[in-house]
Amino acid sequence: MTGDSILLLPVLLPLFAGIGIWFLKEEKQRNFIVFITIAVELALIFYVSAKGGTLTVWHVTSRLSFAYHIDGIAKYFAVIIGLIWLLAAIFSMEYMKHEHKPRRFFMFYVMSLSALISLCFSANMMTMYFSYELMTLLTFPLVIHTQEPQAVRAGMKYLGYSIFGAGLGLLGFFFLNTYCVTTEFAPGGTLNMALTEGNEPLLLFVFFFMAVGFGCKAGMFPLHAWLPTAHPVAPSPASAVLSGIITKGGVICIIRVTFYLFGADFIRGSWAQTALLVLSLSTIFMGSMLAYKEKLLKKRLAYSTVSQVSYVLFGLLLLHPVGFAGALLQVAFHAAAKNILFLSAGAIIYKKGCTLVTELRGIGKEMPVVMWCFTIASLSLIGIPPAGGFVSKWVLAQGALSSQFGVLAVVGISILMLSALLTAGYLLAIVTDAFFPGNSYDYAAMEKREPNYFMTVPLTILAVAVVFFGVFPKYLGNFIDTISGVIF
Amino acid sequence: MNEFATILPVIFPIIAGAALLPVKFRNRKQREFWVLTITILNTIFALYAVYFADAGVVTIFHFSEKLSLTFHIDGLSKVFATMVSVLWVITTVYAFEYMTHEGREDQFFAFFTMTYGVVLGVAFSGNFLTMYLFYEFLTLATLPLVMHAMDNKARHAGKTYILYMMFGAALAFIGFIFIYCYGDSIEFIYGGVLIPELIKGHERTLQVVFLVAFFGFGVKAAILPFYRWLPKASVAPTPVTALLHAVAVVKAGVFAIIRLIYFSFGTEYLMGTWVQNVILIAAAITIVFGSTLALRTPHIKRRFAYSTISNLSYIIFGAALMTPAGLTAGLLHMIYHALIKITLFFTAGAILYKTHREYLYEVEGFGRLMPITFISMALTGASLAGVPPFAGFHSKWALATAAVQSSNQVAYLGIVALIISAVLTALYIFYIVVRAYFPRKREYAAGYYDHVSDPNCYMTVPLIMLTVITILIGLFPSELLVVLEKVATGIM
Amino acid sequence: MEHINWIHNIPFFSIFLAMLGGIITALINNGKIAYKIHMAIIFLICIMSGILLVDVAAKNEIFTFMMGHFPAPWGNELRAGPLEALMAVTFSVVMLLTVGGGANFVFKDVVPEKQHLYFIMLNALFGAMLALIYTNDIFTAYVFIEINTIASCALIMAKGTPQSMVGTTHYLIISLLGSGLFLLGVSILYGITGHLLFPQMKEAIVELIKTEQYHMPLLVVTGFIFIGIAIKSALFPFHSMLPGAYGSATPTSSGILSGLVLKSYIILGIKLIYCVFSAQVMESLRITDILFAFGLSGMVMGSVYAMKERTMKRMLAYSSVAQIGYIYMGIGMGTRVGVTAACFHILAHAVTKTLLFLCCGSFVEDSGGKEKIYHMRGAALRNPLAGIGYTLGALSMIGIPLLAGFISKVYFATASVYSPGKMAAVLIVLGVSMVLNALYFLPSVIAIWTPAKEALNSPSPSVSPAFAVSVIGFIALNLILGIYYRPITHIIQISLDLLAQ
Repeated sequence: MTGDSILLLPVLLPLFAGIGIWFLKEEKQRNFIVFITIAVELALIFYVSAKGGTLTVWHVTSRLSFAYHIDGIAKYFAVIIGLIWLLAAIFSMEYMKHEHKPRRFFMFYVMSLSALISLCFSANMMTMYFSYELMTLLTFPLVIHTQEPQAVRAGMKYLGYSIFGAGLGLLGFFFLNTYCVTTEFAPGGTLNMALTEGNEPLLLFVFFFMAVGFGCKAGMFPLHAWLPTAHPVAPSPASAVLSGIITKGGVICIIRVTFYLFGADFIRGSWAQTALLVLSLSTIFMGSMLAYKEKLLKKRLAYSTVSQVSYVLFGLLLLHPVGFAGALLQVAFHAAAKNILFLSAGAIIYKKGCTLVTELRGIGKEMPVVMWCFTIASLSLIGIPPAGGFVSKWVLAQGALSSQFGVLAVVGISILMLSALLTAGYLLAIVTDAFFPGNSYDYAAMEKREPNYFMTVPLTILAVAVVFFGVFPKYLGNFIDTISGVIF
Repeated sequence: MNEFATILPVIFPIIAGAALLPVKFRNRKQREFWVLTITILNTIFALYAVYFADAGVVTIFHFSEKLSLTFHIDGLSKVFATMVSVLWVITTVYAFEYMTHEGREDQFFAFFTMTYGVVLGVAFSGNFLTMYLFYEFLTLATLPLVMHAMDNKARHAGKTYILYMMFGAALAFIGFIFIYCYGDSIEFIYGGVLIPELIKGHERTLQVVFLVAFFGFGVKAAILPFYRWLPKASVAPTPVTALLHAVAVVKAGVFAIIRLIYFSFGTEYLMGTWVQNVILIAAAITIVFGSTLALRTPHIKRRFAYSTISNLSYIIFGAALMTPAGLTAGLLHMIYHALIKITLFFTAGAILYKTHREYLYEVEGFGRLMPITFISMALTGASLAGVPPFAGFHSKWALATAAVQSSNQVAYLGIVALIISAVLTALYIFYIVVRAYFPRKREYAAGYYDHVSDPNCYMTVPLIMLTVITILIGLFPSELLVVLEKVATGIM
Repeated sequence: MEHINWIHNIPFFSIFLAMLGGIITALINNGKIAYKIHMAIIFLICIMSGILLVDVAAKNEIFTFMMGHFPAPWGNELRAGPLEALMAVTFSVVMLLTVGGGANFVFKDVVPEKQHLYFIMLNALFGAMLALIYTNDIFTAYVFIEINTIASCALIMAKGTPQSMVGTTHYLIISLLGSGLFLLGVSILYGITGHLLFPQMKEAIVELIKTEQYHMPLLVVTGFIFIGIAIKSALFPFHSMLPGAYGSATPTSSGILSGLVLKSYIILGIKLIYCVFSAQVMESLRITDILFAFGLSGMVMGSVYAMKERTMKRMLAYSSVAQIGYIYMGIGMGTRVGVTAACFHILAHAVTKTLLFLCCGSFVEDSGGKEKIYHMRGAALRNPLAGIGYTLGALSMIGIPLLAGFISKVYFATASVYSPGKMAAVLIVLGVSMVLNALYFLPSVIAIWTPAKEALNSPSPSVSPAFAVSVIGFIALNLILGIYYRPITHIIQISLDLLAQ
């Protein structure tokens, strides 16, 4: 091991802590340890991000090694993940009172964090692939947690798609191993120009397949079908992090591949870029469309994720600093907003047992705090100020216009608008029904069902964050500029 | 002395095994003692012959100027022989316990021991004729093992086995004749033995003959379309399926193909021809086909059998790339797969032995009750699926990078096949583990969990040993790769 | 007295002794004594042939022996070279071992009053075969063919059961058909060439071909002669007499008939090819191609029929049909290497098939007289020696290395490389045949070693020493042919070269 060994700590701590949590049968004790672990982890992330550093853990062969390196992307994603993971954990402590086998849930929940941090900090392709696979394997038990037949089926579908997507990424990895100077990530790319001469078509194919493969985790068409099946069947806190965070795992991989291996210059202007832009736009539209028609609440939110994460991909693939900024902003805001939405849905299920959208009339009166957070998140998703989502979508639109794509930019913006309308349709409808149930509602049957502060506090914190960073986006924006400065 | 040391590991078990046939042991302990002693002794003999006896080419019989029976332990022999010798002892211990469930152990262990010698004979063969001879003997020696149960299914499996094996031998025989006529000698020499002057004008014929011989040996390696015998043979007792049909017999087939390509015909002659493309495609199709069938079979042992079919073609694919990198990768996978698959079959055997359950929908929730079995299955399964940093990832990596480096367009197809297979593998192997640890929510009959526990140490110790070896050897592939590279470039 | 070359007299002595033995035996009524006489005579002939072989092979010569001091082209001649001597030795050894090992079967199957007749016929048969091997005269050949046929029929009939009668009748009819064709051909040929001795006939035919006379008659004649021989040697599709005959005869008879008698006709055929017609003539008349085609079909169809049989003896009979096909395939290739392979296979099959029939007979006995393979389960466990013999014989048939059958296959296959047009067919059919052979031999091997479910109340088998010696002898011969075959194929090769001159 050469380098800053401290980098290993945030990766290994959740892994071992998770195993230890399995042995804690007593609920209070276990919740406490979970909280402490993730809090310490968050602190470590902050510390390590501030300090920076590189670490080579182990040379497996001459070309393959496990290595970590803290750069802008690593910091950005790690902090977001750490924060949200902690908040969702607090929520779960209350939620899991109604679910079976909480020990197992928390074990895998904590261990998954390890895989995610490993993914963020990865310094080369090998480590990233390994973390990606580990992430799939560790989140898989969360999906099938309830052990209902449909959960198991959904889990296998998740596994299959994920591994296939990883497989496509691996396929690209095989080629990059030969055609890149090194598989260590470097801003601007590491392609061996001498070897790539004359092989551009091949490499573009490779890039395309890698993007589609990693896009699977991000729910991009055509490998998105697992998402609407898997997210709803998991326990709600798990759905929340699956939608809000794990999808971003795919995003990280695409960022790394595009900007740190191939390099934006290689891809820009090629058919691969156009094709991927088209795919992401189709996904945006399709996701919103399907969400609009869906009656099951969690599935509606899942389709929404499909759509929203492709906003990120769209922004990334514009290969332009402004688009990139929009994408990263969307990452942050969607993570927060989607978590709020799923956790709210979880609170509703926990307290009232409703799963269908039609059952949510008047719930705003019964669980006001929860539904206010839900509303703010909805605004963010639609893109209405002062919610943060507005900022990210605005920047995305700017990025589209500044890029060299004439027609595609216009089409892109139209789709963004259309999607916003649809999003309004499928989210605001819930909000209005919740707060203004109308005359046919039975007011007498209403009762106060606000969940306790384990659930409301995380929701509120996230909602406040969404608004705050929506009003003062430059904190995020400046940080993002430091990243885009290097890779463009 | 060295020559004797080379011949001994082959002859000793054959004679000892034959001597065991008429003997009826008084009790189990006595039999175990003798069989284990013979096996361990022979492993010592074999390892000594491989690593210390430097005898060169040992001629046993000289039939005519060109035809003779010779042994020659080169690098490839060393790899195969070491793998087989180590695994044989472990399997014998496992089999002691397992066969109490099947019966007629005396006969079983007699043939089992004889097979050991025959497999080493294949490994040590110095020329085509010797390998062909031991190849045929391998079929004959393993036939009673396959048919051990002697019920209708076993007999039918035996007939299928005969049909396929003999057919393969007949095709391989044609290859032998042509090497005999068009080659400098029938010895195995790195780079091939064909005489260029003789070949002129007959290239097309020889290419067709190569293809014929390839598929002939490919029958034992279960390449499409000659794979049917393998799933049928999984009715044999588990130690047989594990050792023979995951390690000895099928790897002998792959071994023979490697000998054919690199040491008889020679890559120089074959590389870049339509023949190479045909075998690459055949291997690629088998890779996907085997994995697909594995996914569709709920019978655990048959699932593993189909998995073997798929994985063997990984090795063949590597060999078919006809570059040293390709061969190295193929050999790496040969070793890894042998370890992984034998462990997996042992876990299936443990389940069968303790609970008589054979189908994966019957093992719901067994994970907690049979921890050693299912943890082994999970770990080696992850390795099979190619999850880094386990063994399977390294061999897939080596195979794919070798394919990329070969710049052969058809080889790229193979990479796609590898990926598809990886997905399918993950699905079909993890599904069993998932069922074991996340049982479906439903009512289970009383007595569903009777007898569900790990078997005794005869079976668990081999399981643990194999799992540990698989993981260790997977975590530290570098030394192994260095050795295999030497073998693949003809240095060793 | 001029120096008598004793060795050159051996062929004549051999035939004479055999015939003499037949006559003497006719005077004796006791089967056991007849048996002993027979064995002694064969043994003597074996030694003599051995001496002949060594001498002729060392000197690399082929000599003709005039009988009765009448010079050619009127008198009768015998001709002996390394190949003939080798065949004679082999036939004697096989005969010795078969009759020695199978004597018990004879004594059980044949009624005591008729036993000595059996041995008369054996002697006559043997003499006739030797004559066919050594003869240099085509009419003599015909005469001894007929003697052979009658003796064979007697041997089949010896068991006295209804099936054997039916089998004999069938055999007789087909055989006579074959002999008849042969005779017809010989007569016409005599008419065309005016000679009966081989060398003279050869010259005449060469002349005729050159001058393009009698082209059609020559073609027809050749056809008659070889089809006649083909019928007698049970080449497909003229094989129908075999299964019934062999299936119903006593194992000793079946062994000798399929192992030796059929071959004697083929040896005659080979001699005719080289000494009378010459290889080029055969080629130009396309006879070899026809034989080749029949040979190939025989190889496949014989095995196909064998697979359907449930009775072991009939299965072995059909197996013989297939093996005869091999030999004709070799001849049909038309090259010297092809015929070498064919000759080797004659030897290989002779030692293997007789072994199989003997062991089969032993199994039948152990199973209480039942002949179906199903009833022979566990037979090998009761009589391990016969079991091992049968197993090795079966493996040789399939073509496992170290055994005779494998060397045959190698020779056939390498020979085919020199006949490019026929190569693919040969290799494919060899492969198919190997698989088919495995498909019916291996199950029977497995069956005899599988313990029987019910205990059979059969007499506990006694393995007579003679039987044991016989089986071990055959196994040894098979292994010798499989391992130390070089000297033997060398002899065959030089022989054929000498014959072709």
